[in-house]
Amino acid sequence: MFKTSVEIMTEWDIVEARQIGRQEAKMLGFNTVDQARITTAISELARNIYLYAEVGTIEIERIETEGEKRIIITAVDKGPGIQDVRKVMQDGYSTSGGLGAGIPGVNRLMDSMVIQSNVGEGTTIKTEKWLR
Amino acid sequence: MDIIVYFKEQNQQLYGFIEGEIDTFTAPKLRDELENIKFNENRDIVLDLSKVHYMDSTGLGIFVAFYKRALREAGQVKLVGLSIRLRRLFEITGLSDLMDIETDKEVEIN
Amino acid sequence: MKQLETQYKKMLMDYITYQSEKNLYIAQNFTRQLIQKNVAPEDVVGIHKNVMKEILPQTSNEEQHAYDFLIEVMVQYGMTHRAHQSLLQKQAEYDMEMKIAADIQKTLLKTIVPQLANVDIGMVSIPIRKMNGDYVHFLAEDKKYVCVAVTDVIGKGVPAALCMSMVKYGLETLEYTYKEPPYVLEIINRVIEKSVDDSMFVSMFYGYFDIQKSTFSYASAGHEPALHYSAKNNQFSTLEAKGLLLGVLPDTKYAFNEVTIEENDIIIIMTDGVTEFRFHDDFNARDLITTIIEKNKFLSAQQLCTLLYEQIEQMQDFKLSDDFTVVIIKK
Repeated sequence: MFKTSVEIMTEWDIVEARQIGRQEAKMLGFNTVDQARITTAISELARNIYLYAEVGTIEIERIETEGEKRIIITAVDKGPGIQDVRKVMQDGYSTSGGLGAGIPGVNRLMDSMVIQSNVGEGTTIKTEKWLR
Repeated sequence: MDIIVYFKEQNQQLYGFIEGEIDTFTAPKLRDELENIKFNENRDIVLDLSKVHYMDSTGLGIFVAFYKRALREAGQVKLVGLSIRLRRLFEITGLSDLMDIETDKEVEIN
Repeated sequence: MKQLETQYKKMLMDYITYQSEKNLYIAQNFTRQLIQKNVAPEDVVGIHKNVMKEILPQTSNEEQHAYDFLIEVMVQYGMTHRAHQSLLQKQAEYDMEMKIAADIQKTLLKTIVPQLANVDIGMVSIPIRKMNGDYVHFLAEDKKYVCVAVTDVIGKGVPAALCMSMVKYGLETLEYTYKEPPYVLEIINRVIEKSVDDSMFVSMFYGYFDIQKSTFSYASAGHEPALHYSAKNNQFSTLEAKGLLLGVLPDTKYAFNEVTIEENDIIIIMTDGVTEFRFHDDFNARDLITTIIEKNKFLSAQQLCTLLYEQIEQMQDFKLSDDFTVVIIKK
């Protein structure tokens, strides 16, 4: 297991998170298309933090056990939180902008996603992709 | 077909100018604009409808909702500059007996 | 994915060799298959990249980088595209539900026009969209009386339809008060005022035609005035009745009005969809209605209603801007 964490404060931090994500994905053996998907997912999550939560982190975990290889991306912020998590998972919510924009898109790029959020406290989004 | 709403504050009065056509499509915008108005005891709200060329019943509903809120929150609302056609709409619906309405008088403001 | 790649490789090689239209047609059909299998755009670029490397091993590194770049672009593009697709699908589901709801509303709010021995009644009610914001309710006993309520819900769509059902059940539970138009309006007003949001209201014209006494008593809650044609005087008069819309204030009172109805007299009750001519500013719709009725007064009540609808629809270039409802009662 290998874990890296990037604090998102400026747009350059988004680029850095992308870069780390791509390296890790490559190391696990994801092909170019999946690398691009993982990176785009990281980018979306980081952008949400940058735009709506101001401060937060992106954690990238590489899991390599026997017979199982996967990458875990966790976005943690202490922003305003999401009132209705179910709504954020629906398409169309993102068109209204605001916190949680693009979440359904990220969900499609990855294999699994879990959102935990408390209004006024912050949001944690954990998403994974397995190597097949 | 669109609608323009803008406000001017003068002499303890808030003037709202509404221009265009109020129908099912433009009504939500008007509703949002009116919902943003905060009532307060020292300020009258005057809505100028002299540039409203058309209004359907959805539009009427918005003014009634606004009036009901004014009633609850102790605000004063006046509608001015209504065309004969618009005035007729308020008369038929019995609203002209309830609300403060003035016909065809341009609001003078510099 | 591997199988698709093999297929794609063959097609691409064929095309590079022959460059024929047939090859391209096969490619088009292949695309259909891709869409059906929900293959993302970035995957297609990925396939192309891999195949290129196989069939033209001498491809430069720069070209491979260019493909990677395109893949990145397509991920974002595909993500947005898929969200759009999913919205379209959702919309189709909503449309379906709306259609079902509209059908239910139609069944629930179906008006049956009473067939009476001495009174001829006709009605036309045409919604502009799926859900009708107008509703007509009759209550009648042959040779004794007929009551009619013509209503228009201000506000559209589903909330209006729900409100309408409330009006209907309100009217059905009137029991013995149906003979008193102001009282009816006061009751329905209380029902609506309690349960409807601030921007939704109902206008209603309620009439009670006493067939034995030949009187028509009525009250109006913010509704378009009805018309009375007196056959004896060959004249129209407006059945003006002041009264506030239903659902605005809790304890609204309504005025009682009454006219005497003589042989061959006609009463015309309508909603504002009939008189509202959006793009004819100076046009007096009531003049048109009275002219049509006067000219065709010997037609049956139903024929008159249909004729009014046809002529007014034509006047508005077949683009009515509101639900259209007219009820005609002929003695």
